[in-house]
Amino acid sequence: MKVELKNIGKKYENRENFTLRGIDLTIEEKDFCVILGPSGCGKTTLLRMIAGLNSVTEGDLLFDGRRVNKVAAKDRDIAMVFQSYALYPHMTVYDNMAFSLSMRKERKKIINERVMEAAELLQITEYLHSKPSDISGGQRQRVALGRAIVRNPSVFLMDEPLSNLDAKLREHMRVELVRLHKKLGTTTIYVTHDQVEAMTMANRIVLMNDGKIQQTGAPDEFYEKPGNIFVAKFIGSPTMNMFDGCITDGNFVFDDGVVRIVPSEPLKKLLDPYEGKNVSVGIRAERFEKDSIHRNNIKCTIDVIEMLGKEKLLYCRLSNDKEIVISAPGYNRYEEGMEYTFGFDDSVVHYFNTETGERINK
Amino acid sequence: MKKQKHKNALYLSDRQPLAFAGKIGVLMMYIILASWAAAIIWPLYQMIVSAFNGRQGSYLILNREFEFSWEHFEYLFEETLYLTWVKNTIFIAVTTAIVILLIVSFTGYAYSRYRFKGRRASLMAILLIQTIPTFAGIAAYYAMHTIISNIIPAFSRQMMLVLIYAGGGIASNTFILKGYIDSISTELDDAGRMDGCSSMKVYRLIIMPIARPMLAVIGLWSFIGPFMDYLLPRVLLTSPQTYTLAAGLFTLINDIRNTNQPAFAAGGLLTAVPIVIMFILLQNQLVSGLAKGSVKG
Amino acid sequence: MAVYNEFLYDTIGNEHPRKNLYLLEVARLQEQIRNSAKSDKTEFVRELRELKRNRKSHPYNVSLSAFKKDEKTFRKNLSESKKAYSREIKGRFSPKITRLKILGFLSGQMEPFYKPFTGLSYDALMHYEEALIIQRQIDGVTEFISEHETAMADAKAARKTIGGEDNKKARAGLFDFKKIQRQKYKADIASLRKKIKEGIISKKAFEAEKAQLKKKQAYAILVKSYELPGKGNRELIKSLHYQVTKGFRREITVLNANIADLRRKTPVEITRVVPVNAFLSFFLPGFGQVLNGQYIKAIFFFLISIFTYVIAIPYSLGYANFQGDGIAGLISLAADGSKLDKSLIFMIEGTLSVYLIIFAVVLVYISFRDVFKVDRDRIRGVRPRNWFETKTSLFEEGFPYMVSFPAMFVIVFIVLVPITTTMLLSFTGMDPQNQSKFPWVGLENYKLIALGQGIAGKAFWYILGWSVVWTLVATTLAIALGFFLAVFTNNERIKGKLFFRTIYLLPWAVPSFITIMFFSIMFSPNGAMTEIITKLLNADAAIVVKYNPMLSRITLIFIQGWLGSSYIFLLSTGVLQSIPEDLYEAAQIDGATAWQKLKRITLPMVLFQTAPLLIGQYTFNFNNFSVIYLFNGGGPFNPTKYGNLAGSTDLLISYIFKLTTDNQYQSIGAAITMVISLGLMVFAFFGFRNSKAFKKSDTE
Repeated sequence: MKVELKNIGKKYENRENFTLRGIDLTIEEKDFCVILGPSGCGKTTLLRMIAGLNSVTEGDLLFDGRRVNKVAAKDRDIAMVFQSYALYPHMTVYDNMAFSLSMRKERKKIINERVMEAAELLQITEYLHSKPSDISGGQRQRVALGRAIVRNPSVFLMDEPLSNLDAKLREHMRVELVRLHKKLGTTTIYVTHDQVEAMTMANRIVLMNDGKIQQTGAPDEFYEKPGNIFVAKFIGSPTMNMFDGCITDGNFVFDDGVVRIVPSEPLKKLLDPYEGKNVSVGIRAERFEKDSIHRNNIKCTIDVIEMLGKEKLLYCRLSNDKEIVISAPGYNRYEEGMEYTFGFDDSVVHYFNTETGERINK
Repeated sequence: MKKQKHKNALYLSDRQPLAFAGKIGVLMMYIILASWAAAIIWPLYQMIVSAFNGRQGSYLILNREFEFSWEHFEYLFEETLYLTWVKNTIFIAVTTAIVILLIVSFTGYAYSRYRFKGRRASLMAILLIQTIPTFAGIAAYYAMHTIISNIIPAFSRQMMLVLIYAGGGIASNTFILKGYIDSISTELDDAGRMDGCSSMKVYRLIIMPIARPMLAVIGLWSFIGPFMDYLLPRVLLTSPQTYTLAAGLFTLINDIRNTNQPAFAAGGLLTAVPIVIMFILLQNQLVSGLAKGSVKG
Repeated sequence: MAVYNEFLYDTIGNEHPRKNLYLLEVARLQEQIRNSAKSDKTEFVRELRELKRNRKSHPYNVSLSAFKKDEKTFRKNLSESKKAYSREIKGRFSPKITRLKILGFLSGQMEPFYKPFTGLSYDALMHYEEALIIQRQIDGVTEFISEHETAMADAKAARKTIGGEDNKKARAGLFDFKKIQRQKYKADIASLRKKIKEGIISKKAFEAEKAQLKKKQAYAILVKSYELPGKGNRELIKSLHYQVTKGFRREITVLNANIADLRRKTPVEITRVVPVNAFLSFFLPGFGQVLNGQYIKAIFFFLISIFTYVIAIPYSLGYANFQGDGIAGLISLAADGSKLDKSLIFMIEGTLSVYLIIFAVVLVYISFRDVFKVDRDRIRGVRPRNWFETKTSLFEEGFPYMVSFPAMFVIVFIVLVPITTTMLLSFTGMDPQNQSKFPWVGLENYKLIALGQGIAGKAFWYILGWSVVWTLVATTLAIALGFFLAVFTNNERIKGKLFFRTIYLLPWAVPSFITIMFFSIMFSPNGAMTEIITKLLNADAAIVVKYNPMLSRITLIFIQGWLGSSYIFLLSTGVLQSIPEDLYEAAQIDGATAWQKLKRITLPMVLFQTAPLLIGQYTFNFNNFSVIYLFNGGGPFNPTKYGNLAGSTDLLISYIFKLTTDNQYQSIGAAITMVISLGLMVFAFFGFRNSKAFKKSDTE
């Protein structure tokens, strides 16, 4: 099912300002859409509005072109997986999964078929008749998924479903969820604050902050072409190195020439209007190369080296004490306290308008 | 052989080995605990003995003679209205428990899950008003009973008593239940709503079954209350036919005409035994219920 | 002068331009008058006056009234054609579909009529879009319903053919299935048992496994049983029935909700600028709602009118009273009534009247607020809610009020009315001489108490003193006992915890009236304890505690310690077990002694967590009637000091009891009650306010 949000706004009753406003978003059929953002950005509110648990103050919410603003949650043909799983503790796994169908007075035989089907898909047939308190966290997670699947909904909503699992299990479930999505092909809207989950699972990410959508797009777009400074800083680990400088004579200058970047010709044209104005530049840690042939270089001293195995993180300092992080292959040798020169290619530099935060080199 | 012994003496406890002073301390503790246990058991033991002692007159005296007999129990059942009192008490207790459960289960849910005007103020006000002893309104209760029973003849003094007990139990029990429901994740409500429940159904099918232990505790407390209370039945109920156990048994030691202290001991024993068993079996729930209500609110 | 705004605002606060061009011109002129210099003003004022004078001939107003006229005839024709249409389709469809068809027909007529006027008036725009919404949805709904109704008809037809051979076969099949399932279950259980014997699984695991198997088997059979043609068919019909009724209701709700949404987005435009409806209808709740066009809502508000004018006011004027005279009775207290009239009843009915009047006033005010708000919002441009919207919000926001109504009812009548009565009683002269009729005496009773005069006042201060001492000493003793017993019992080196816990529970579990009465017996002149004490002290004459005030008091304090420690013991035990072990370990590493650990960790933790309950214990003991009264009736008595009523161990509560119940000095008793209640309330207020429970809900 295609989910469309048109100019959606939410204002809580006893609050002065809108929590969310002007949200426009289209989630195509069969999408795995991840809504990503720091806590308090309104992503859960948005999901709950789609679910029908919170009312929509303004705008239109369309499911396959049908307006559902006022349709009760149970009648929206959706299913939700909650952060705490929200399994009914007094019912067995079977009853948990059958609950929504039996609320609809569905026939026992059909309920049984659906539950069994879902249970087999998720490999939970063994403990169908246990209580949720008797099974492990990962199993509960599967039951929660099963409860959603049984309804055979057109949209899955997931509210940070993996945040209660330990790291190993989370990794496993991530793959499992993607596999499940491939198999069922149901539109999925997934809320998380974890960018790794977003990057690995989504075929479409919506990044939110301060009640607004910052950028939507495929995961690689986010990484390679962040739309503004917030996105650039939020996505990627380690965080992108940012330099707040200005354009002088067509070149980017940071702090009296500690860093000076000479842009390539096509870029120069884009940067023309910014002559004398403040511009921020971002370069990802892994884009620095030692002993390079690039014309843009920086000199820095290494403070600390973190060895991660396949890569090394170099925490360096420029001559004006500005800290930057550089990622280098694990087999390269560096010494702490030594000065090195790193170069980078033109194409990997992200230019942003410092005032608006918007990207310049689109 | 020697080695073996050494192994046995291996000190396995995490605790420090006791010094001499520590040993004295532990001994003192045992003595204190044991003597308090004795202080508790002795009067109760006396009661049991007197209840079964055929050599007792109508006044209890500490005599060394003991002869096992059921005569006091026989007296209790044949000469007094003991069974009527039991029946009255159970009627009042059960009705009170039902009324309180019916009312409180809704208010507890509403106070926990909904933010509405006057929520906090009303709870505080009711809690404060309830520090006023119930018995303060006694004159009014009489008159109100006169008025109501004139309109509804079937409205007995016992029903008035039930209403008073219920009225007195609403606020604190609402508080306790609210605390318990607060600890149930609201995501369960949301899940229920998505699965097709209305507010009422969310409560009935999801919250209530989960809160059942606490509801049981509240019901139990409301049930026990009338067994424990002496004051209100004494004042409100006028004829021995309508007495509860407390008021009825008191006539056995208070009223000179039918004083029979051993029979009182027997009656007391009969009343106490089921309650004591219940308390011992359910002590954890009863205590946790109380503590939760006050601590978590 | 009516001031108009250039824009209209809807519920959310969005701006909409006016469609009423006349009002728009007025608003603009007014705006110009406000903003222009003095010299230009006269010109604009003149212009405005001119405009207003020619209001009727303003082109917009002309076309608006033409539209209104058209609309009237259209509506009339519409109801005609609706009748014709319903006659036409009568009997051809099921009731539900008929309803939908008529709805569709109406919207089909309305859409083309209103379409040309959408630019003229917001009302027309709304009707037009409403018709569009209905048309967009109605077909889907009709299709859904008719599909399910057909399926239902099929299922019902199928029911007739069920029976005979098929059924028998199915039954036999089910029987066999059950048999197989049972056998399987037995085999599974047997293999599990074997595992137990071999020690592979524990007993507990076996029980859990067994319960699961049992459920599994029951489910399998249950599901299978629906394969019986009869049962399956019944279930199918039930399911379809549910789909049809619920589905219909759901779709209609969605339709209504969408229309409601439209109403929120489409403003309303009226010429009035003063919310007069509220003031017009102040004394008649319901009427204002009618003026606002909310007819069904009005019915409910008329109930308030009925309550006010048929119940509350007549009752408080003295009609339909049991005996009293409404509020007037509260003043006269039956002073010049007949012989049978009782002041007390007059007082209670007076109090009741006051509460009824308060209710009525509150309800009338709520109605006024409602009308006022709707009217004011309408002037701003917000469309009044229709019945569907009102109903929905009532069910959502009104839910907590609705479900707590029984509680409120009980509390008002069982708690508030009696307490108010007691309060009033304390200002009257109800005493043994004036039982059925008594006058108001003002603060006389309080004066008596304060000055220590009269029958009751004399002993008051002595008793208050003893009550306070009793409360502090007895409660603190119980708390200390309970706490230390809990600490000792929970000491890791003490064995037999369960034994001690069970014993210590007993004083709490045995109903206290029984133990107190039994203590009373044992301390009576020839009781067991009297004998023991006499022997121990080697006295010549028997030492009877009950005859000696000081001994009585001390004994009572110990009895309360005996009774009360149990509860504290259990409470403290609960808290002690929840204190994390690492706190103690940390303290141990820091070099704390056992005593320091107790003082710095255990005691504060327990006190902090149980504070409200401990406060409750103090107030409880202040009013601990039973232990005093049942032990010795407040005695021993000392008439020279306490008067004839009270004894030397009486607490205020038992004193009040004696005053009011045994001796009928109700008003003095009420006055004392009020004094101690006030004190207790202040005490409890600070206790509760500082408790975690209330602090937490502060931050919510």
